[in-house]
Amino acid sequence: MNWKLFAVFVATLGVFPLLWSDPYVLSVMGSAGIMIIAAISLNLLLGYTGQLSLGHAAFFGIGAYTSALMSLGFDVDLGFGMTWQVDAKPVWMAFVTAILVTAFFGWLVGKLAFKVRGAYFVVITISFAQVMRMISLNWTDLTEGPMGMISIPPLTLWLPGEGVVNLTSKAAIYWLVLVVGVLAYLLVAMLVNSRQGRAMIALRENETLATSVGIPVTYFLSMAAIISAAIAGAAGGLYAHTVRIIDPDVFLFIYTVTMVIMVVAGGKGTLGGPVIGGLIFGLMPELLRGVVEPEVQWVIYGITMIIILLFLPRGLVPAMYDFIAWLRTPFAIPQRKTGHSLAKEAN
Amino acid sequence: MTNATQVSESSQTALSLRGVTMKIAGLVALDNVTFDIPSGEIVSLIGPNGAGKTTAFNVISGYMPPTSGTVHLFDEDITAHSPHTIAARGLVRSFQRTSVFDDQSVFDNLLTAYHLQGRASLLQSLLRLPTFRSEEAQLKARVWDMLDFLELRHRADERAGSLSYGEQRILGVGIALAASPRILLLDEPAAGLNPSETDAFKAMIRRIGDSGVTVLLVEHDMHMVMSISDRIVVLNQGRVIAEGDPQSIQSNPDVIEAYLGSGVKRA
Repeated sequence: MNWKLFAVFVATLGVFPLLWSDPYVLSVMGSAGIMIIAAISLNLLLGYTGQLSLGHAAFFGIGAYTSALMSLGFDVDLGFGMTWQVDAKPVWMAFVTAILVTAFFGWLVGKLAFKVRGAYFVVITISFAQVMRMISLNWTDLTEGPMGMISIPPLTLWLPGEGVVNLTSKAAIYWLVLVVGVLAYLLVAMLVNSRQGRAMIALRENETLATSVGIPVTYFLSMAAIISAAIAGAAGGLYAHTVRIIDPDVFLFIYTVTMVIMVVAGGKGTLGGPVIGGLIFGLMPELLRGVVEPEVQWVIYGITMIIILLFLPRGLVPAMYDFIAWLRTPFAIPQRKTGHSLAKEAN
Repeated sequence: MTNATQVSESSQTALSLRGVTMKIAGLVALDNVTFDIPSGEIVSLIGPNGAGKTTAFNVISGYMPPTSGTVHLFDEDITAHSPHTIAARGLVRSFQRTSVFDDQSVFDNLLTAYHLQGRASLLQSLLRLPTFRSEEAQLKARVWDMLDFLELRHRADERAGSLSYGEQRILGVGIALAASPRILLLDEPAAGLNPSETDAFKAMIRRIGDSGVTVLLVEHDMHMVMSISDRIVVLNQGRVIAEGDPQSIQSNPDVIEAYLGSGVKRA
């Protein structure tokens, strides 16, 4: 990993609110950051194990609902006159619970879906997200249905001299998202550059060959699904405690599609891909707002995506590496290398 | 397998098939196949196209569970075990088609293939604990050793898919060797190689055999088969029709008939 570049990038993002403290800009950056975290989690499955999860919004939504419910407290009618009551928990505990619950669902979906792969996996994940959306719409005792959940408490932080503060200011939310995002990025970076990560990549590249050298397929696919779901759950939890209102729309297919666009346009199977793709497609709608009509915004959004995929089919980050390699070898015809090997070189 | 038994491995049976029958949609691909492979030998499995050689490989390495019969690896029943557990027990195969991780560097191909030699847990990997670091360094050193053995050191950083066909086949064997097999199954390793590549390949198989690994080979190149095999097993229409050293196989009338005098006579 290129630590210098990484440190400069994170430091730049870190001081950004000090240089430009416009709350609107920070709030836009914060929401884009949450989507980037979700895209990082999708990239682990789609980019590194090659499994397209088109129900990734489900993990995001489960994280959001679990965190919201745990921090507000809830009761569930178990029938036979029994109720299961859970009191409101500290917000951080709710947040961690959300990550664990989502990880469990990642394991469950992996368990069900990895017996079949390819198109079947895609169908199962889509169905899973739809089922979750139906549950959130119709189990009104628990989720308030289409009314959504409101007054979700914010995350808190103890600061020396100031005591416990609520992370509600736009700058605080921005930094919170940045910290979680950096952790998610590092988690995936450490994973894919380890024996476990190499096993996942081997499954993507050639599953038959991978098993022939002793790599157990379902074990590593489940591991990827669990970690991926946990990160998506963290993104959902952040969403719940920063927006502080959630409704069943968090399960909408469009969110999954947005994540897929971010990953694919940025470069799937590269660490920087979801970050770059997420910055572009997360910020573009806001940057265009006020400049052009809403309908035109979506046209521009679509055209940008088509142009990227038409000319840089492997995504922006591999294209960038190719370009750097080309700059470095101006006199020789550059050996065409893969995005993966180049990404590894730069790492 | 304890150390004591490993010492006397030379007199042992590495692989033993007993009455293996494989029916695929009504077609009998293997019919009551029984043979033994002594440890430390280079054995070739030959036969005309469609004789069941690749099916035999698939059954042995766990990619297809047999309809009936048993497969034993060093006296351990491995019938219908999954491929990755069989690989972990020391039986590793290469594939008929070129099989490398195309989009990765040659170095990473082998590093991935050393999967079974790693022990670091997920947590140790994620936190980059000392166990993980020393293991990675050790695995990388072994990759360099393997590159030397394969004579591919100068190709380490190249994309595996961009290697020449012959080099890809050699890398494919290297990937299998990285799983530290006790017995290595090679499915038509020399198919499509030019004569000098075939010679290099033969030399490599000898080196593998000399290092104590039992080799089972499916091959059509009769010059190669006759010159490197200690023993030959001949399959025809799913049955074993002959078994023995290269000399006796060449003069065996059943074998000549099965080949219609073409392949074996030329050899």
